[in-house]
Amino acid sequence: MAVFMQSFLSGILIGGVYALIGIGLTLIFGVMRIINFGHGDILMVGMYLTYVLFTWLHIDPFVSVLITFPLMFLFGGFLQKVFINRVLHAVAQNQILLTIGLGLVMSNTAMLIFTSDYKILTTSYSSSTLQVGGGVTVSTPLLISFAITAAVTAALYWFLLKTDTGQAIRATAQDREAAQLMGINVKRMSILAFGLGSALAGTAGALISPTYYIFPQVGGGFTLKAFVITVLGGMGSVVGATLGGILIGITESLSAVYISSGWKDVVVFVLFLLVLLFRPSGLMGKSRT
Amino acid sequence: MANPVLKPVAGILVLGALFALPRFVDSPYALHMMILLFMSISQGQSWNILGGYAGQHSVGHAAYFGVGAYTTMMLMHAQQVAPWLGAWAGVGMVAVVALAIGSICFRLRGPYFVLASIAVAEILRLSAINLTGLTNGAEGILATDLPPFKIGATVITDFSTKVPFYHAGLALALATITITYGVQHSKLGYFLQAIREDQDAAHSLGIPISRYKNIALVLSAALTSLAGSFYGVYVGFVDPPTVLGLDVSVQIMLICIIGGMGTLWGPVLGSLVLVPLSEALRSNLITEALVKAGVVNADSRTGLFLKENLSHAHVLLYGVLVVLVILFMPDGLMGFFRKLASRRQREAV
Repeated sequence: MAVFMQSFLSGILIGGVYALIGIGLTLIFGVMRIINFGHGDILMVGMYLTYVLFTWLHIDPFVSVLITFPLMFLFGGFLQKVFINRVLHAVAQNQILLTIGLGLVMSNTAMLIFTSDYKILTTSYSSSTLQVGGGVTVSTPLLISFAITAAVTAALYWFLLKTDTGQAIRATAQDREAAQLMGINVKRMSILAFGLGSALAGTAGALISPTYYIFPQVGGGFTLKAFVITVLGGMGSVVGATLGGILIGITESLSAVYISSGWKDVVVFVLFLLVLLFRPSGLMGKSRT
Repeated sequence: MANPVLKPVAGILVLGALFALPRFVDSPYALHMMILLFMSISQGQSWNILGGYAGQHSVGHAAYFGVGAYTTMMLMHAQQVAPWLGAWAGVGMVAVVALAIGSICFRLRGPYFVLASIAVAEILRLSAINLTGLTNGAEGILATDLPPFKIGATVITDFSTKVPFYHAGLALALATITITYGVQHSKLGYFLQAIREDQDAAHSLGIPISRYKNIALVLSAALTSLAGSFYGVYVGFVDPPTVLGLDVSVQIMLICIIGGMGTLWGPVLGSLVLVPLSEALRSNLITEALVKAGVVNADSRTGLFLKENLSHAHVLLYGVLVVLVILFMPDGLMGFFRKLASRRQREAV
């Protein structure tokens, strides 16, 4: 039972970070109907940013979120304004390809700057753990990152539900044309959404950097995971992505313990295919036409 | 322009020159480049049938490339089955895999289809890593001892040079181009294009959508599998990332995007652009050219840095190319040339 509780708990903690990645992707999809295949690479940029801030300026990775978030927001806004904006009305495959291309540029530029070596960001608490009771322990960096994730997610919910800009973003996601008729500047909302999505992915990158290897190709796996999470939750649904992230975290963690760590990603992908087949609108999604 | 006599004669001359080329060129590097070109054409053309003509943009073609390569290499390594026989076993395996994938993915449309095709390829890649007993896991399979190729008792070749690979590659590339030509000019091709343009309209006209999608998929997958087997045997080594990775799927698709999807010569043009460029980067020709042109000093920090790293980042070029092509010529090189031609015609009138 202790083993189950242990893996269940760490699944929830990792799931928090996954949720952040998924919310970013789902926000972008909701507002622009574009699937961002470079999402994981944006996360990778966030990881390297954290790495640079840590090794050069000795800023703690969790504190660096304060710098990473706004910088990644600007980066995302830039990507949207310069590249994505031009394909908003193009055929779907061109949108997908453009984001794949941008992802390739990001990961290979990182490889050119930092080489393909695996970097490790070692903090004083990287491998420390905390006793929870009943023989269950949790890793300290995971716990801190979960706390930050929860705070960021709460702030995001507040922003989307209570502020005018947040409501404008949601209105754009619900019906782009109607929003435009109501006087909402949908182009600005698109930049905001892509900026926010990138900022969330970058933050997730900063949060996992104390516990993950940092290397240029790290993004691919996270892009796929982000898809699984958003499809599971329902494309475009922020609440769905939050739940989906935690669900995937738990699934991964449990299958690593009860099946094997090599097969845990296979379990996640099989789950993904099953959802696609039997409930393509996801857990929280409404079916869209 | 389209002279009815000149065209076939020119075609036959080009073909003859291509087949005779190894007699006049004995640089192994030049032959290697040509072999890579043929392989790229075969890969692109195979994808083109499903992605270009039927409009089903699979980002999971590594699944077929990898299963073909693995089947052939596993049979050769463990059972000493000659690769030209094993490759057909690979095609059989891939046909089964493709039908299974089709039954899952073709229920989905647009972005969902893309995501499902990626997921299936990833499941296969992870399985190849984990099924160590069958595939030797992440270490991959090394099998370089090819049996001599005989017809009757006469030994045709013992694979001591690159020449037989050159001819096999050329034959494969020609076969894929011919098959695509055949598809384009048959009922199958028209049905596929109707499905691509408007699936619902095609359905209401009585075209059995899922049957034709599956035919396109199996054909495309079988040809991709042959290209995979050829790759495995030529390189003598397969491992999960090089034949089953997401990069492979993206590169296969890129050949068509850059050349022009749904056109017969698009994948050929795309390969003519991509293969030399990526090889130039990989073998550091670009750094050498920059040094020779006096742009960077070979011993300066930039020079050393470029020499050290540029070859690792050859995929950067793919990324830049995709972004430029999508933004400025969304229909690929073929579409770009067509636009130029029609503009010139209009000006002439």
